Amino acid sequence: MPEAKTVTINMGPQHPSTHGVLRVECELDGETVVKARPVIGYLHTGIEKTMESKLYYKAIPCTDRMDYLAPMSNNLGFVLAVEKLMEIEVPEKVKWARVCLTELTRVASHLVWLGTHALDIGAMSMLLYTFRERELIIDIYEACAGQRMMSTYFRIGGLSDDLPRDFDKKVRNIIKVIPERMKDYEALLTNNQIFINRTKGVAVISAEDAINWSLSGPMLRGSGVKHDLRKANPYSGYENFDFEIATGTNGDAYDRYLLRLKEIRQSLRIAQQALDGMPEGPYRAHVPGVVLPPKEDVLHKMESMIFHFKIITEGFKSPRGQVYQAIEAPKGELGFFISSDGTNRPNRVRVRPPSFCNLAALPALCEGRLFADVVVAIGSIDIVLGEVDR
Amino acid sequence: MGLLKDIKNLLIGMKITGKHLGRHAITIQYPEEKWTMPERSRGIVVLLSDKETGELNCTACMLCMKACPTGAIRIDAPRDEVTKKRTLKGFVVDNGLCCFCGLCEEACNFCAIKMTPKYEFSTIHKEELVWDMKRLQEVGRDVDYVDTRKKKVAPAAKPAVAVTPAPAPVTDPPAPAPAANPGEEKKEG
Ligand code: SF4
Ligand code: SF4
Repeated sequence: MPEAKTVTINMGPQHPSTHGVLRVECELDGETVVKARPVIGYLHTGIEKTMESKLYYKAIPCTDRMDYLAPMSNNLGFVLAVEKLMEIEVPEKVKWARVCLTELTRVASHLVWLGTHALDIGAMSMLLYTFRERELIIDIYEACAGQRMMSTYFRIGGLSDDLPRDFDKKVRNIIKVIPERMKDYEALLTNNQIFINRTKGVAVISAEDAINWSLSGPMLRGSGVKHDLRKANPYSGYENFDFEIATGTNGDAYDRYLLRLKEIRQSLRIAQQALDGMPEGPYRAHVPGVVLPPKEDVLHKMESMIFHFKIITEGFKSPRGQVYQAIEAPKGELGFFISSDGTNRPNRVRVRPPSFCNLAALPALCEGRLFADVVVAIGSIDIVLGEVDR
Repeated sequence: MGLLKDIKNLLIGMKITGKHLGRHAITIQYPEEKWTMPERSRGIVVLLSDKETGELNCTACMLCMKACPTGAIRIDAPRDEVTKKRTLKGFVVDNGLCCFCGLCEEACNFCAIKMTPKYEFSTIHKEELVWDMKRLQEVGRDVDYVDTRKKKVAPAAKPAVAVTPAPAPVTDPPAPAPAANPGEEKKEG
């Protein structure tokens, strides 16, 4: 029998640094990875299919459960897609509130990423610090929507409730506190030689490859491609905000780390602008028969009551057609494709999840490199398996 | 040279860790200390009772059951043959199915169902997660709420000039509710 040159081992599905139930089949030649193949499907929940069986407004709770680290972004992608389908124009205040909240979501998501990525590499205390800061943002979710992770705050045509009274104060506190604390993170990691050795020049992807692999979000921008849907294809009033697209140069894990820190700062900047310019107004659009009327009206007016009843029991009929709405989620381009056959349920919902598309490039990131770098590569992609498998 | 710089950077990191060494822990010792939940917290679902009569506010309009995406709510309210009105016989919430989305509260027009900041309901057996009407009412007894139902009826009677047709639906709202297709709810799981 010929001597085997390579050995195949499985990393995961139960492995602390695969960020969920991901299995990576690695073919190793000594310490070098010859082939790496991500195997997914362990967390398949059938969310897309479930959404097809639900009335439009009942599908919103499903979206939270995909990327559970950025629930507001998922909500936003779906409601924007339905609003596009139904041609609903939401009030200005809703747009600004949504922008503010999704930017905070980006900060929260990047903080979790930073903590877990540093933990994978061996810097344990980062996780404790970043989770402490994330808690501030989670508190805002809780004050707005009532839940810490599965927020379900956005509705088709508006928000589920008005912003809470102390929203402004709380968000301003975050905008003040987080940059202070980020100085600590940078002092801990940016110049730390161990961290640099583990991430610099590791998991490299060139700009051309990044585009060819259809990467998005920090994975794409880390390689120097200046592409951000918030600028390239503004949605929800992003054209009113002044911010910069952060980019990296080398396309390695270290650049993506720096890039995400920059993104946190830019997000806080956007949140600040959203707070300063938050217009007054209703928190829901007035679209009879599609958007729930305010509770006071339901109790007073016969007409509103009938609409309320109809929307809850039968939903609304959507026009025939197909829409695709993509947003810049913390992890990249999150797109919702809805195909409607004119009934009150979507005929097909397809999600373009950033984690899934970015994970596909894992072989390109780690083949030919050391086995220990696989952990760094997975970490720097920033995947959430709930979204990969849906 | 490089080594010295590396050591310096490591020491900077250690300094930050050291800073936190003397700090007070921010952890809460759970069963003894408890976090105050914000008012909008979506914990367990309860049924609210009238503040004066102590009877359930629910009119068995079935809206919450239809709004529930997981089918956690089951209402037993047979329709009277003569008056065509429903009487509430049973109301079951399966907390094991509930995803705490809050859509039922949004659907209810009668301040009858509410998500509360309560969260302690773990049990050994999953059958015990199914709460019947009595239990839902008991747990909801001490829940404070704004009774929009009543408040709206009182002022509506006064400025009768402005909103003459308005008070009519308020007095008898459940009437049109159960009239629509009752078979619809079966489809959704
Ligand atoms: S929506 Fe309210 S009034 Fe109607 S059945 Fe549910 S709890 Fe009762
Ligand atoms: S919170 Fe959501 S899942 Fe739970 S009972 Fe209400 S509607 Fe159903």
